[in-house]
Amino acid sequence: MIQLFNVCKAYKKGSSALNEITLNIPKGDFVYVTGPSGAGKSTLLKLLYVGEKPSRGQILINGQNITRMGLGKIPRLRRQIGVVFQDFKLIASRTIFENVAFPLEVQGKKRFEVSKKVFQTLKLVGLEHKLHRYPLELSGGEQQRAAIARALVVDPLVLLADEPTGNLDPDLTLEVMELFKGANARGTTILFATHDRSMIRRFPRRQIVLEGGFLVEDRTP
Amino acid sequence: MFERWLLMFSRALRNMRQSPLLCGAAIGTVGVSLTIVAFFGILVLNVQKLTGHWSREVQVVAYLDQVPKPEVLHRWQSGIASLQQVQEVRYVSREDALARFRTRLGQDAALLTGVEAEVLPASLEVSLRPDFRNRAGVEVVVSYLRQQAGLKDLRYGQDWLDRFDAFLGLMRAGGFICGGFLLFATLFIVANTIKLTLFARREELEVMALVGATSWFIKAPFLLEAALQGALGGLFSLGCTYLLFAGFLRQGLGSLLLAAGIDSITFLPTSYQLALIALGVLLGVSGSLVSLRRLVRV
Repeated sequence: MIQLFNVCKAYKKGSSALNEITLNIPKGDFVYVTGPSGAGKSTLLKLLYVGEKPSRGQILINGQNITRMGLGKIPRLRRQIGVVFQDFKLIASRTIFENVAFPLEVQGKKRFEVSKKVFQTLKLVGLEHKLHRYPLELSGGEQQRAAIARALVVDPLVLLADEPTGNLDPDLTLEVMELFKGANARGTTILFATHDRSMIRRFPRRQIVLEGGFLVEDRTP
Repeated sequence: MFERWLLMFSRALRNMRQSPLLCGAAIGTVGVSLTIVAFFGILVLNVQKLTGHWSREVQVVAYLDQVPKPEVLHRWQSGIASLQQVQEVRYVSREDALARFRTRLGQDAALLTGVEAEVLPASLEVSLRPDFRNRAGVEVVVSYLRQQAGLKDLRYGQDWLDRFDAFLGLMRAGGFICGGFLLFATLFIVANTIKLTLFARREELEVMALVGATSWFIKAPFLLEAALQGALGGLFSLGCTYLLFAGFLRQGLGSLLLAAGIDSITFLPTSYQLALIALGVLLGVSGSLVSLRRLVRV
C-alpha cells in the first residue's frame, strides 16, 4: 500500500529531517512510527499526505508515485487518505456534523448521502447525540473522536495519525485506540505516530523507529 | 452542478454572517476607496464638460478683402465643408457683421449711428467638429484656407489655442496618473483587507486542502464572498458620493465651474454608477485572488 525508496527531506536552512528512508507497508497493516521529538515522525506523515514533497527518493501509495504527482491530482489522492492530528484541526465555526460532512461535500456527494454517512460515522465514534454542537463545546476526547470521524467518513485506504492521543488522558487514549483498531479491522492501513511507549506495549503492533531522521529499527512483535 | 453552486453561495453568505466585523471592514474599505475614485470621476467629468464648452470657441475666421461673387463664395463654402474636420461654414456678410456688432454693443448701439456696413469686412466662420477642436484640427483647416482658397487674413486665436491644448494635455495626463494611482492604491488596500479576512480563516483553508478540496472548491466561496462585498462596497460608495455631491460638491465645485461658463454640475450618469459597482466587484475578486494565491497552495 505504501512504499518509500531512499526518501530524504532537507530544508533550505540545511537541516535534514529525513535520511534515506526505505519502507514497505502492506495493505491493512497497523504501524507505529515512534521516536523522540524531532526524529522526523511528523515529516514522514507530511510527505505521505503531500503536505510537503521529498527532496529525494520516491513514494508510492496504492501504486501511484506521489512524488511525481501534479498539483491538480493531489486533492484526489488526499480523498483516499484520512489524517488525524494531535490538535484535532476541527473548524471552530462549524458544528460537529458540518465538520464531519465536509470531506464528503468536497467529493460532491448528494445531501442525503452525506447526512446518512455522517450520522453512521458519528455513531461509530459515539458522538451521534452531539452532532449539532460546536467543537469548543466538547471535551478534548470528544473533539479527537470527531476528528477521527472526519478522517473515517470517506472510508480511507490509509489513515495517518500524528500523535492523536498526545493531548488525552489514559482513559480517553484507550477509547481513541479502539476506534483506530476498529478502522484497521475494516481494512484501513494505519500509520500512527506516537512516542507513548506504554500504549505500544498495551497494543503491540509493527514499529518503525526514527532517530535524527534515520530509520533505526523496523520490528514486528 | 446547480446544487454545487448553491453550496458555494450558501458558504459565502455564511462566511459573511459569521464574521460581520471583517466583512464590514472589507465592504467599508471598498466603499471608502471607491468613493474617492467616484469623487475624482465627478471632477473629471465636469472639467471635461467645461473644456467641451470652451472648445466651442475653437473656430477659424477668414476675413475677406472684397465681397466675393456668389459662385466663388459657393465654391469656397462647399470646398471647406468637404473637410472632415469641419462642422459648419457660415458666411457673415458686412451687413450681418454690423448687425451683430450692434447687438453686442447693446445699450451703446447708438455709437454706431451713421456707420455704414462697408467699414466692416465680410467673413467666413468655420467651426470644427468636437474631435478636431485642437491645434492639429485647426492647422488642417487653416492650411486649406490659405492654399486652396487663397485667403490670407485668418484668425483662430493662436495663443489661446496653444494654452487650451496644453491645458487639455495636462488634464489628460493628470487624470491618467491620478486615476491610475487611485485604482492601484484601492486594489492594494482592498487586497490587504481581504488578506486579513482570509488569514483569520487560514485553519479552515488548511483543513479544506487536507480533506482533498480542489483549488477551485476552496477559492470559489471566497471569491463569491469578495464579489458580494465588492458590490456592496460599490453601492455604499455610490451613496457616500451622492451625499458628498449634494452636500458639498454641488455648491463648492458648482460656484467654481459655473463662473467658468458651464450651466450645471453633473452627477455620475447611470452607466458610470453601474461601472462603479462593477469596479467594486472587480476589486474584490482580484484582491481576493491575489491573497488566495498566497494562502491556498493546492
